[in-house]
Amino acid sequence: MAEQPVIELLELTKSFSSGAFVQNRSFALGPVSITVNSGEVVGILGESGSGKSTVANVIMRLTGFDEGSYHFRGADVRAFTKADSFAFKSKVQIIFQDPYGSLNPRATVGASIREALILHKRHLSRAQMDARVRELLAEVGLGSEDPGRYPHEFSGGQRQRIAIARALAVEPEVLVCDEPLSSLDVSIQAQVLELFKSLIEHRNLTMVFISHDLNVSRLLCDRVYVMHKGKVVEKGIAQEVLTNPQHDYTRQLLEAVY
Amino acid sequence: MLTTPRSYPKSWVEWTAIVIAAIIVLTAVFGGLLAPHDPLVIDFRAKLLPPSGTHWMGTDGAGRDVLSRLLTGAQLTLLSTLSVIAVVLVIGCTIGIFSAFVGGWVDNLLMRLADIWLGFPPLILALGFAAAMGASLQAAIWALVFSWWPTYARLSRMITKDILSAKYIAAADTLGVPAWRKVVLYVLPNAFDVLIIQVTLDIAAVMLAISGLSFIGVGAQIPTPEWGAMIADGRDYVRNGWWIVIFPGLAIFFTALSFNIIGDMLRRELDPTSQRRA
Amino acid sequence: MMTAPAPEMTTETDPAMTPLLDLSDVTIALRQNDRKMVTGVSLSVMPREVFGIVGESGSGKTLFTRTVFGLHEDTYLAGGTVRFNGRALPLNGYRRAIKKMLGKEIGYIPQDPYSSLNPSMRVGRQLTEALYLSKGYPMRSQKAQDAAVALLAEVGIPEPELAFRQYPDQFSGGMRQRIVIAIALSQDPELMIADEPTTALDAFTQRRIMDLILERSRTRGLAVLLISHNLELLRQSVDRLGVLYGGQLLNVAATADIGAREIHPYTQALFDCVPGRDKRLADIASIPGEPVGAGFGTTGCAFAGRCAFAQDICRSAPLVTNTDRGTGFSACVLGKGARHG
Repeated sequence: MAEQPVIELLELTKSFSSGAFVQNRSFALGPVSITVNSGEVVGILGESGSGKSTVANVIMRLTGFDEGSYHFRGADVRAFTKADSFAFKSKVQIIFQDPYGSLNPRATVGASIREALILHKRHLSRAQMDARVRELLAEVGLGSEDPGRYPHEFSGGQRQRIAIARALAVEPEVLVCDEPLSSLDVSIQAQVLELFKSLIEHRNLTMVFISHDLNVSRLLCDRVYVMHKGKVVEKGIAQEVLTNPQHDYTRQLLEAVY
Repeated sequence: MLTTPRSYPKSWVEWTAIVIAAIIVLTAVFGGLLAPHDPLVIDFRAKLLPPSGTHWMGTDGAGRDVLSRLLTGAQLTLLSTLSVIAVVLVIGCTIGIFSAFVGGWVDNLLMRLADIWLGFPPLILALGFAAAMGASLQAAIWALVFSWWPTYARLSRMITKDILSAKYIAAADTLGVPAWRKVVLYVLPNAFDVLIIQVTLDIAAVMLAISGLSFIGVGAQIPTPEWGAMIADGRDYVRNGWWIVIFPGLAIFFTALSFNIIGDMLRRELDPTSQRRA
Repeated sequence: MMTAPAPEMTTETDPAMTPLLDLSDVTIALRQNDRKMVTGVSLSVMPREVFGIVGESGSGKTLFTRTVFGLHEDTYLAGGTVRFNGRALPLNGYRRAIKKMLGKEIGYIPQDPYSSLNPSMRVGRQLTEALYLSKGYPMRSQKAQDAAVALLAEVGIPEPELAFRQYPDQFSGGMRQRIVIAIALSQDPELMIADEPTTALDAFTQRRIMDLILERSRTRGLAVLLISHNLELLRQSVDRLGVLYGGQLLNVAATADIGAREIHPYTQALFDCVPGRDKRLADIASIPGEPVGAGFGTTGCAFAGRCAFAQDICRSAPLVTNTDRGTGFSACVLGKGARHG
């Protein structure tokens, strides 16, 4: 049997009713077709307003779409039952850009990570969950930190690690990263970049990397899609697209970035 | 990065407010036991006595000891205030959080309802209740409950909407956290700060409203030792018995002022914007 | 081997040349508790030079810039000397003195183009007002209007006559930043401060605005002090670079030296973190630990806790300051990155 893509968006479109989303005035996504194969790191690149975050939200099923189709491991997500939808949430996880907003400020970091286990790893006992929380924190390089502390006691980079640990807690197949580095300082950015690198190596993760940073994407991604005004303008092997672009837009973008 | 200190130094005004509030709360708890005389016993031989060794705050027109009435009244005033707050808090927040979660036309309908409701002046409602139930403290409490819940519904709906748009809620959504769990673990803990500030400020407002209603005669009736009713009772004697009016007046004044100051202090210390990055 | 870039650079220490802006041992403290946040910064910006200041968030670069140019209410200049064109500004009443120069000798381009223009005043009026304040042109005169339109054209606004009559919210972020630059240029400053001028903008606009700032300053012979967290942007834009960390000035280096010869270990480590255009994943090396905030003080090197070369002396030796203000400077007590000859 041929390897089936994990995520397959086909001719997918989404439009926003004007007025409801001020930032996306007269913005429409697509049609876009994006496939993500198992074990791949796929970059979705573009400027703000290119539609890349909408793609992330569609993949996460945080938002719906109008036309086209979205298949997850061959199954049409529109035909998902309630149970399928819940199971889906343990297979696809997301890391947001803002590490300050993505953790519940009134929950300890241990509780935030345990939340994922309580919902999706019910068979674990309380003690097993606590042990798992510590393992996950250790995996993201926070092994010496106390899970009983609150998010505001951690720095931005540490919070981003905590968010990664929470996402990993459900043992996802796909990790969607929506600009995970762009609000971090360069020295911390490099640390998290190294963490991603080791996660990709050790966990055999499939990753969707949403970013405007072409340099980071070239380092991390296997394949990339370049988006502009809601459409994919260029796709291909990351090294090739981001060193020898074929489309004018990509070329100009590459020239513009520092 | 500049870190905002969690605890600001408190001024002497704030310390005074805290001490007064503590004294008032303690009085409300033990007031009846501390009262040197029975607050309800009428003794016409001892009427309109100025402050003295036996009656520290004098006696009123029926010879009742003002200090004893004040101490016993603290419990009554504070208890009725807190029951109003507790009820409006529960009703208001339930409606507000429900409204924010459901959204759409239900949200619109509930909020328009709250708006219309806010249009009724509490005084008119109180008069209505007094007419229906007879003027009493209960009538005043019901009137306030009925006129106060929309404030909390609107406030809690606004906070909830705000919380629901946060990224950690999106993160919870990607985990499939059910709605009730979101309310308990995500919304309520994060709404707590704003609500507690509002409650503290409202303690003063509700207390003034109850006393005000009692003063104009639609609330507590004499001989109930409610502070507003005491002032109403004493206003006939202002010329030859200033102490009957002044002491409950001061009690209301200091209680309302201290809770207001504490509310402002909490607002400054718990303000969610001050916890975010500079 | 590294002799080539020197001659055409105006930054080469020329004893006959007075620095345009000269800071000596500048210390900045919080008004609230007198805590010293930025300590012992000495640097000079030569006429026509494009000088960059880089720092991670919390390094003190914003405190430093805003205090030195009188834009910060909560901090003050607690020590040191600031000279502009050889003239020392008084330490007492420093803020008032420097604020008088803002909008005249010193132009300022703030970070956020959305809040730095008055939304209820036409663009033309804001420009003519600036011209009136700096040059005394009567606001409604033809002279002021012509000058304003010329400025709008100079910063690349299409249809400057139309733009003159429009309101700021009719422009995109990039166009607004151009208007802000036009206002700054209207005063014919000698020094232009650009405080993270492009962080709020997308990549294309960022590049265009940076090009505009550099091109205008070159043509008009302005010196530019460019503050940014983006090392790569600075490396491609400025002549020399000052590196702030923990409120200490650790390094002043010619940008040509970055990646080419030994520089201060922190600057090197920062450069190794940046996923630049020509780097591979293996070239990226992160710095362990968390950045220290401003206010580290003057005992020991602020970077010692994360530095691969750190020795005991790094934690105890007093902070080395840039006293002679040559072309390059390294605060490293181990002598790393010190420029010889």
